[in-house]
Amino acid sequence: MKNFEEIQVSLSELREAIKRFYKPEEWHFITINGTDVGDGIEIKYFFAAYGKSKKVKAFSLKIDYNQTIPSIRDIIPSAWIAEEELKDLLGVNVEGTKGGIFLEPDSPQAPLRREVKNG
Amino acid sequence: MGKKFVVPFGSQHIAIPEPIRFIFTTENEIIKSVSVDFGYVHRGIEKACMTRYKYTQVPYVVARVCGLCAVSQATAYCMAIESLMDIEIPERAKYLRIIVHEMDRIHSHLFAIAHLSEAAGYENLFMRVMRDREFVMECLEILTGNRIQADYSTIGGVNRDLTKEVYEILKPRLDELERRLYELKEIFERDYTLQKKWKGIGVITLEMAQKYNAVGPVARASGLATDCRVEFEYLPYKELDYKMVLYQEGDVWARNMVRLDETLVSIRVLKNAIDNLPEGDIKVKVKGNPKGEALIRWEAPRGELLYYVKGNGKSVLERLRIKTPTFSVIPVMKELYYNQPYAFVPDITISFDPCLSCSAR
Repeated sequence: MKNFEEIQVSLSELREAIKRFYKPEEWHFITINGTDVGDGIEIKYFFAAYGKSKKVKAFSLKIDYNQTIPSIRDIIPSAWIAEEELKDLLGVNVEGTKGGIFLEPDSPQAPLRREVKNG
Repeated sequence: MGKKFVVPFGSQHIAIPEPIRFIFTTENEIIKSVSVDFGYVHRGIEKACMTRYKYTQVPYVVARVCGLCAVSQATAYCMAIESLMDIEIPERAKYLRIIVHEMDRIHSHLFAIAHLSEAAGYENLFMRVMRDREFVMECLEILTGNRIQADYSTIGGVNRDLTKEVYEILKPRLDELERRLYELKEIFERDYTLQKKWKGIGVITLEMAQKYNAVGPVARASGLATDCRVEFEYLPYKELDYKMVLYQEGDVWARNMVRLDETLVSIRVLKNAIDNLPEGDIKVKVKGNPKGEALIRWEAPRGELLYYVKGNGKSVLERLRIKTPTFSVIPVMKELYYNQPYAFVPDITISFDPCLSCSAR
């Protein structure tokens, strides 16, 4: 079960889909979430409708570990922080990210990947 | 063109109790560029909850995400799991969650107000606000057993009931706290120096708040009507005369006043909840393991808190994601610094009431 609406998109459709959908006066961009599902990373972009009860929408896609995803920070300027987190904690290549904001250089890299064991 | 100076702010700075580092480049003391680093306190809490702890133990782990809003963290997680496992908790437990949650908001907001007063040079006001905050800290201790980091919520309800004896102690304390909060409001509304220091400083317009997806008191101080208590209806606030506080000015003063007014709203809500507390059980038994995905948007004291959970039928979650309010306001905070005098940085920063332990998790 899910308590939010999910829209599946491909990597090539992602930017265009979000660009068409997102209106800052109607939708609040919540964050981006990444999950290591064992054979790749599942990524969801969460949005909530202002004032409308419980309306949450997610654009979802799955990528291979070594694929690069495009940045959406030119569409949603606040998305940079979630993109940097994806880079640091899951090792996802996101265009334009520099990394190192959430972790110090001596931290385990991409700690939310399955192969990184909890110490 | 003036001479450029690079000014580091943090990672340890007297204006903020937690580590964050800004690098400001200034020209004639006006900020021209800024970079931010806040990963000093990453503790791997999400990883631990996905590898080491059963989903029933996780409420007591995520309560350690933040000292001030521990109740929000644990309750939001419990409600995400309850949504995922289709667990209906007793009405009494819903009201008790509201009572403790609003007490949490009051003490968090008063802490932020005290901190901002101190940064303005008002040490006496800082001490007065912190003294008044003690009323709610004592109420929390009586009700939950702890002043902070109360492990109050559990999956299926709450861990402790509100007895008649506790009710008799809480009621006069809340009345006294309300009287003192009105006095504080008068001070902040009338004090000439604070108005000169905070009004028109660090202004976030409504458009800017929308563009950078601000949340919580920061958004509401700019006229952006967003509050998960209304938008996500996770608890029965409608029954308790809850009303959203909105200011339009978007400056340091408005952010402070939103918090102050919200403490008064919280007092009204929690008094109504105490007076109309339904009879019945405080928790239900939980069986099985979570399977599927669910999320909750929760209005923590600093704003929108997101808990996303994904289970695969095992006792340990496949994914737990925590998005904290400060995580959402850092982009607008960073943008706001541009073209501000460097001297305004401490007041602007504290007016966001940032929590870095939450954000780094």
